[in-house]
Amino acid sequence: MSTRLRGLVWLLLAGVLATACGPASATAIAAQGLEPGPDGWRGLPLERERAMPQATLEDVDGNEVELGTAFAGTPTLLFFGYSSCPDICPVHLAAIASAMDTAGVSYDDLDVVFVSVDPDRDTPERIEEYVANFSPRMIGLHGDIEVVEDALAQLDLPGPIVEGPDPRGEGDLIGHPAQVIGFDADGQALRTWPFGARRSDWIADLPRIVEEWS
Amino acid sequence: MNVAWWCSSTPGQIWTWRYTPFLGVWMMSAVFIGGYLWAHRRAGRSVDPKLLRRWVFGVFALFVVSEWPIGQLGVGYFATIGIARYVVYTFVAAPLLLAGLPDWLVLRWFPQGTRRRQVLGAFTSWPIALLVFNAVLFGTHLPVTIDTLKVTQLGSFGVDVLHLGAALVWWWPAMQKVPADNHIEEPLRAFYLFASSVLMFVPAAFLTFSPLPLYGLYELAPPLWLGFDPIADQQAAGVVMNVGGGLVLWAIIGVLFLRWASQREAEDTAARRTRDAATLERIRALEAAQSEEALERP
Repeated sequence: MSTRLRGLVWLLLAGVLATACGPASATAIAAQGLEPGPDGWRGLPLERERAMPQATLEDVDGNEVELGTAFAGTPTLLFFGYSSCPDICPVHLAAIASAMDTAGVSYDDLDVVFVSVDPDRDTPERIEEYVANFSPRMIGLHGDIEVVEDALAQLDLPGPIVEGPDPRGEGDLIGHPAQVIGFDADGQALRTWPFGARRSDWIADLPRIVEEWS
Repeated sequence: MNVAWWCSSTPGQIWTWRYTPFLGVWMMSAVFIGGYLWAHRRAGRSVDPKLLRRWVFGVFALFVVSEWPIGQLGVGYFATIGIARYVVYTFVAAPLLLAGLPDWLVLRWFPQGTRRRQVLGAFTSWPIALLVFNAVLFGTHLPVTIDTLKVTQLGSFGVDVLHLGAALVWWWPAMQKVPADNHIEEPLRAFYLFASSVLMFVPAAFLTFSPLPLYGLYELAPPLWLGFDPIADQQAAGVVMNVGGGLVLWAIIGVLFLRWASQREAEDTAARRTRDAATLERIRALEAAQSEEALERP
């Protein structure tokens, strides 16, 4: 093997190793935001009609909340997650809260509801503290896992799954649906925002939700 | 459209403070230092401790910002640390590496009359170097570039290589004397470096004043702690590029200018001394001639 060829092989090896063993993005997906649809919405339309689930949960003060009736009369964004979630849940909620501020949308005109899929760890106090990180006006709910699973099933969504230990030593990681579902004032689910929705997407959609879904 | 419908946290994407060495970074650092020593040995030259020190500090700067945790945090979590990495690559590591290269080694790697030398000469003429540096600066800080390239290890490595390569090309005419035609001195050198620091304000201003996060990568990255906003991170990144990069660069411009000024002063003093000595010599010769003339006079 000539000296030049040998040098090239070494260089190639070094490059491969440096590439394979170097830092890379931690983002869950290579997201660049949602694309606007033909109607200008960023949130994706639902293919089948769905209504707000009939399920009785509890708020952080211990009051019973009937999902089907409690949010009637106001457009609602519903998200299922858990407070120990390391990535998608806090990113989604932070994006919505920030976009609400930027777009000037009031929580009086739009309910943002977080339902815990982790009743073992998510105590009312913990949920209250968690949602307050994004906005004290966000509504945190919890309930028995069977009730939460039933609510998800009514939306044709799979239930939460324990996926193994969290490397941060915070119990187990829980897999769950990653989308936010938008309901109009009559409780009809109209659109959904998967993970990957950015602030710019929410800023485009939030005023329309308030204007067109109230 | 690239989106996720299921929240499934894979352990590799969750930040922990457990040390995770990047073997590639260790290996590249070893190649840089080992290669430097090997090149000296192969040429039968002894290592100049001063130059070696600069080279090792340059490699160390690269190592620190590429290895865990700064490398990982900069590539995947915080725009501020990502920009700080760029500042270190460009304004610390690259000039140190160049300052550690002896001229004979450059001549050996780029012998006169070869194609390699022609390419080096073309890239390191100062207008081209300025163009290359700024094209890479602007190009690699576009949201589409960051969001496309930095999400893979190969892309991320490619961006790092581009940053270091462009910085070496940019510093070359200001620091290296080979090829001599491309070497620039004050006041052109100060203008050349200063021009880039001014151009750097443009991407820095976008980062600082944009009302929305520019990079999806950092906006959608897992937060290390709750309540830290991607917009605050982006604004801090702009400040790091503007103030951090600017300060380092202006300090270097100042040092180079002062060194040049003191060198010129030393040259002037030496020239004046030579001139004074010659004048003194002439005066003495004149006086001697006059004395002789006076003696010869009846």
